Amino acid sequence: MSEMTEREILRAPGGPRVRLIDADSAPLLVRDHFAGGDPGPIVASLAQVPELVGPTLPFLGTVLGPSWIPMREKEIVILRTSAVMGCRYCTDTHTVVALDSGLSHTEVRALRGDLPAAAAFPDVDDRALIAWCDAVAFGVEADIRPARAALTIDDARVVELTLLVATTVMLNRYATALALPTSPDVRDRLLQEAL
Amino acid sequence: MTTLAEAIAADQLGDRVWLYSNYHCNLACSYCLTESGPKVERRELDPATMLDIAHEAKGMGFTRIGITGGEPFLVPELPEMLLELSAVLPVLVLTNGTLFQRSLLERMAPLGAADVTLQISLDHPDPVTNDVMRGPANFRKVVEAVPALLGLGIPVRIATTLEDGDAEDLPRLCMLHRELGVGDDDHVVRPILRRGRAESGDMGVRARYLDLPPELTLTADGAFWSPFAPTVRQGVLDTDLLLSRTTRPLQRPVDAMLTVLGGRPAGADSTLNIR
Repeated sequence: MSEMTEREILRAPGGPRVRLIDADSAPLLVRDHFAGGDPGPIVASLAQVPELVGPTLPFLGTVLGPSWIPMREKEIVILRTSAVMGCRYCTDTHTVVALDSGLSHTEVRALRGDLPAAAAFPDVDDRALIAWCDAVAFGVEADIRPARAALTIDDARVVELTLLVATTVMLNRYATALALPTSPDVRDRLLQEAL
Repeated sequence: MTTLAEAIAADQLGDRVWLYSNYHCNLACSYCLTESGPKVERRELDPATMLDIAHEAKGMGFTRIGITGGEPFLVPELPEMLLELSAVLPVLVLTNGTLFQRSLLERMAPLGAADVTLQISLDHPDPVTNDVMRGPANFRKVVEAVPALLGLGIPVRIATTLEDGDAEDLPRLCMLHRELGVGDDDHVVRPILRRGRAESGDMGVRARYLDLPPELTLTADGAFWSPFAPTVRQGVLDTDLLLSRTTRPLQRPVDAMLTVLGGRPAGADSTLNIR
């Protein structure tokens, strides 16, 4: 049997749809991102176009990373949005991050859609935030209007959390379209957690 | 003075912009960095783009243009394009020297009055040994082309890429290029670089990016650190020396290059004679 070409490998079911750059092939401008080991498939794919890495990662870090809004709240948004969007990579990855951010096993299952949100989130504000994520991710005006009315948070919080939903949707589309692979560490943890 | 001009003046960055006119070639040399050959995808830079880049490069402070490939003279309009490019900046063209039959030489004649230099590859003074590496009849075609081009008033340099152990044949090769009318100052000798087909064939020396003199190099695939950088192995473009996919405006890859240059360790001079 002849060896598969790179194009055939990329089109094979189950694998990423672009070549993921490794440390040996990392372009000059992005080598620092590979110095500490595998930077993950988002960076490894973005590195195909090195000039995208510089502006994109700080943006993602600012929106998704630590800020004045607690990480627990942000992970509710990221995990819920990823689950609603059906993004396997982001849902898997942020299931682990959400657990590490203080969300309970039950809460995580609810955010992933395995349990009703009401069963896991007694706080009405948490449920309103989850409904906001669902509405913004789907993008239907008729859903967004009542979901906004149910939110009791200030405008600054609405702005940042909405940008977080929108950015997560962008990453969901990116990761799903390119079939980015879940890392072995995350897969192991999900097995451990029975998730 | 711009940051680019300062870097060029300080010899941190080459003053020549290299353009990969195309990737296809009538030869398939055993050590080719780009795995060029007759059947590879052409990946050409179109002539209008090359001319625009030359103008842009001049405006930014670059002082020379280099054309390489693939075999540039497979681009049908190359002689006329060289005339136009050389009106902007002096041009050096790297060629295998095997396509200079009468009809092409006639089209080359106007370049005798232009600022165009050809650099022709010739690796060994023995025709058989040379042709094993470079292809059938390569030696004969080159030794015929060099005097013909010089006769048109076109300056010619000879580039020799050495395999280990070939150095003892260098004096005979130097005698040959002198006989052909090319002086010692116009003879470039360099080692085989372990990239592309050379790496697949377990040949050549391995070079870090610090070993390759930085010279901005543009191809259909993006901007690279040096003309030795846009290599291809087993059909896949090497990205380790890629600066940016964006090549225009030229300021974009220049900024990327200056950023990399700014991060080089002090005293990081090249240690290999790769030119």
